[in-house]
Amino acid sequence: MNLNRIRYMFGESWIMLNRRLGAAVISVFIMGLSLLILVIFLLLTLNIAVMIDRASEELRIFVYIEDGIGRDRSQEIQLSLLGMNGVEEVVFVSKSEALTTFKEALGEESDLLDALERNPLPDAYKLKMQHDMMRSDELERLAGQIEEWDGVEEVRYGEKWFERGEKFVKGFYVVDLVLGLIIFLSVIFVISNTVRLTILYRRKTIDVVKLVGAPSSYIRMPFIIEGAIQGIVAALLALGLGFLVYYFAHRYFPGITFFQLEAALLFVLFCAVLGAVVSYMAMRRFIRI
Amino acid sequence: MNQDKRIIVGVYHLNKKLGKHFSLEDINLQVANGEFVFLVGPSGAGKSTLLRLLYMDNMPDSGQIVVGPYISTRIKRNTVPSLRRMVGIVFQDFRLIEDRTVFENVALALKVTGAGMREIKRQVTDILTRVALYHKRYEFPPALSGGEQQRVAIARAVVNRPAVLLADEPTGNLDPTATKNVLELLFKVNAGGTAVLMATHDIDLVRSFGQRIIYLEEGRLVRDKEMIYTGDLRERIDDSRVSKRAERMKDLDITGGKGE
Repeated sequence: MNLNRIRYMFGESWIMLNRRLGAAVISVFIMGLSLLILVIFLLLTLNIAVMIDRASEELRIFVYIEDGIGRDRSQEIQLSLLGMNGVEEVVFVSKSEALTTFKEALGEESDLLDALERNPLPDAYKLKMQHDMMRSDELERLAGQIEEWDGVEEVRYGEKWFERGEKFVKGFYVVDLVLGLIIFLSVIFVISNTVRLTILYRRKTIDVVKLVGAPSSYIRMPFIIEGAIQGIVAALLALGLGFLVYYFAHRYFPGITFFQLEAALLFVLFCAVLGAVVSYMAMRRFIRI
Repeated sequence: MNQDKRIIVGVYHLNKKLGKHFSLEDINLQVANGEFVFLVGPSGAGKSTLLRLLYMDNMPDSGQIVVGPYISTRIKRNTVPSLRRMVGIVFQDFRLIEDRTVFENVALALKVTGAGMREIKRQVTDILTRVALYHKRYEFPPALSGGEQQRVAIARAVVNRPAVLLADEPTGNLDPTATKNVLELLFKVNAGGTAVLMATHDIDLVRSFGQRIIYLEEGRLVRDKEMIYTGDLRERIDDSRVSKRAERMKDLDITGGKGE
């Protein structure tokens, strides 16, 4: 392939974009807006996933110790807990600490506790689990195992809530995936139609270029390059508008996050490839070369 | 194929069916290097079809077309572009790209060959000067008159020095003055060594030039003769094996009222 020709190919795409800037801007705008829907959807998914993650991150298993088993047995239990598969961290919560926390939780009503002659709360170990252990069957198995031990009164982790939460998360991901697929397909549909119109619009130009003996790569490449450029600009537009949405939402939901730089770059790259591929397909369908 | 003159375009036993009612039947003709040939016939006779077959936008059903080193029965799809680069093509409707300047339109034919930008500039400047449109090089086609647009189209067709120029009714949309200019330009191109094959329905237009004229009617080649102009062409048609169609054309006097 001749080097000049490659240069001219880029020149052609530049001319095409430049001379019909209005049309190019409109089609990029249409592409950008439909990509914005995808971006907002991805943002929602991301933030809900982060929320779910955080919630499960905060979950702790409480292992309550029988009163009066003595320090040695208590320490043995701690060591065994640490040795268990999937346990990340074991923190001792003494009964007095527990009472303080309880009092704080009660707030103004904490006077009620003053009526108690002695602390009714047991000592406990608070377990933080590894992330991949956060499944109801795993936790149930683990809890059952620990409850058998001597000196352990009870194991608690809010089983009912956890199971319900887990079901909800599963359901959410299924719905999210289906919804995502629909949005994705419609975005591709809109983009390919927009690109197809641009190419149809340039049919005369293509005929002329064919007539003067351009090789098919010379005819196709400018469109592919143009498609990629439009994809990139549309992706940046969508990300920009998406960021604006995020920025305003952030005031009301301070916990939410935006895409990381890598993810954003990946999105731009994806749109570039999408634009190029869609352009190529449209060319193939319309122009017998 | 080498006689005393080299044959640049050869059509041998060409058959092509288009739709239900039209077909080219057993066309045979040869155009030598540097020759000027008019292809004359009423509209619907198959002139455009024949030209399209010559630049291999369409392929014959049977028979063979030879253009330079390219043979229709053997050419591959990806070599068609190289064929197009040795054939210049001009149409009645000019086929210029409207959002490109005159200069860019002409330069396109050189860009696809991969020529350097300096070379392109030199050649385009040269050809635009010769068609007397250099001063309009930054204009866009819609700002030009029909005649000027056609001259740009011719400049584009010949800027890379093709061996053959195919012109399909190049004067069909032009007034008499512009027609005269375009024809003169085509003769000039021909004088430079390019074979020219020009299709037209306008017998009166071409009769006075003394060039070879090929008559095409209803898909058949009815007459092909090197002509030296002596007297009225219509008489010459009458005493040859002329079809009724030609008679009718004569009666209608199709060119008499046209613009003059």
